Amino acid sequence: MNLNTIEMCEPQLERKGSRNIVGCMALFNVKDRVIECKLVYYGPGRSGKTTNLEFIFKAGKKYTKSDMVSINTKGDRTLFFDFLPLGLGKIRGCDVKVQLYTMPGQAKYSSTRKLVLKNVDGVVFVADSLEIQRKENIVSLKDLEQNLAAQNIDIFKIPLVIQYNKRDLGDQGLPIMPIELMEQDLNSKLKAPSFEASAVKGKGVGDSLKKCLVLTLRHLQKELKWTQ
Amino acid sequence: MSDKERIKALIREVEIYRKQGLLEESKEKYEEILKFLQGHERYSKDKKLIEALQRKIRAVEKTLDEIESAPETPEISQEVHALIRRLFSFSENQDTAVMEGAIALAKFGQYDEAIRAFQDLIQEGIMPLVAAKNALMCHVTLSSPDAAITQFKQWLSQETFSTKELRYLRSTLGDYFAKRGITADLPQVSEPIPGEVQEKEEEVIIDISSFVVQWEHGPRAGQRTEFDVSFQSGNKISAILPAQQEDLVAVLEPGLQLSEIEYFSPIAVFKGKGTISGMKKISSGPKRGDYSLDMTVEIE
Repeated sequence: MNLNTIEMCEPQLERKGSRNIVGCMALFNVKDRVIECKLVYYGPGRSGKTTNLEFIFKAGKKYTKSDMVSINTKGDRTLFFDFLPLGLGKIRGCDVKVQLYTMPGQAKYSSTRKLVLKNVDGVVFVADSLEIQRKENIVSLKDLEQNLAAQNIDIFKIPLVIQYNKRDLGDQGLPIMPIELMEQDLNSKLKAPSFEASAVKGKGVGDSLKKCLVLTLRHLQKELKWTQ
Repeated sequence: MSDKERIKALIREVEIYRKQGLLEESKEKYEEILKFLQGHERYSKDKKLIEALQRKIRAVEKTLDEIESAPETPEISQEVHALIRRLFSFSENQDTAVMEGAIALAKFGQYDEAIRAFQDLIQEGIMPLVAAKNALMCHVTLSSPDAAITQFKQWLSQETFSTKELRYLRSTLGDYFAKRGITADLPQVSEPIPGEVQEKEEEVIIDISSFVVQWEHGPRAGQRTEFDVSFQSGNKISAILPAQQEDLVAVLEPGLQLSEIEYFSPIAVFKGKGTISGMKKISSGPKRGDYSLDMTVEIE
């Protein structure tokens, strides 16, 4: 056999088999009634993705299944990913487990971003409200769209929530963008649910996560028909 | 706002950017303030203030340099290696999942650990050729072409691979070096000794999840179309052709050979050919109205 492998490539989703149902990324164990889904926090570098997870880890101890894993650079920037598994208990007869990930926001870590985004079920896009980060937000959202498209996922169809983080910096006299401008830049076409937040103070973190979870589980309910 | 108040406000702003980790942005702001001061009739004479600002700029540059020069792939624990292998393997097939985990280690720059993982796969006979190829790529990326050649020589002296497989690996490594302009002296793979019993080579049946056709002729000449594989048995695959793509039904007649196909499996992408063996309209079920396309994957 002439096997001309082009490159060491990212694994493709296996679409056959009894466990993974065609068109759906989450794992649904029919026999044990367990649903596992994956949410990724996306956004430009230093927008507050890791801070979101750190707050969830501290505030949601009864849901966390184990410690949060963070792999950082010097300077506390996410190098590979942060990972936090949650157990939400039973919902409509199914044990629901959620894996939260963040990915590195800096542009140079593009290939690991793609790997972390693999098989995603829902996204929280963490935008930076600082005026100087306006362009970074737009570039990062475009990057998300492209990386989702590479997995045949339409950004208009995946469960998506937008978080406008660092709103508290406006109270400290820093130039932040008005919500209307951020909505225009990032959400005028997507029309995704959006939340103001200050992840460092914990504001808006829970709301963003809850909404993303609801959207994701509703989406999975339709895809997997797990309540039937 | 007076100039003094403006400067204070700018410095406060920059300090927050610095605390936020927005170092490039804080450096730019400091430089903006410095330029303002140096052009100001009063503040340009304040040497203490200007020097203090220059010290701050140097401190930010130093931090930026430290971040830039820090290792791209830090040492991480065995626990995290195991976590990466678990989190980034997606296949239900155990062997494929192990391979995916090893590839994930390489993608995260953990080449030493990835090489160990690939070596284990070779020892256990799990997709040894794919594992060997990936191990060679890791050697080149981690160390040098020489490290990959040393590994290849080791395999030459052992009985891990057949002559044909060794030739394939040699060819792969040679192509890799050629594309990167690397001149390397790859050892030859010797012919088998007459009468020597050759191991029966098992046909490698790759699990194909999708394929992309590059159209050379017809209504979609020059375009690419992706098909998801719904069923596979050996080298025979089936895919669903949505009703909206009915223009392809007339084109994809049984017997047609497609010569430019990319096949996607869980662990690799490879090029090949395919021959259409059947096309049938689906008359019932959720895919009613769509078409089921059957194809034989060409194995050379």
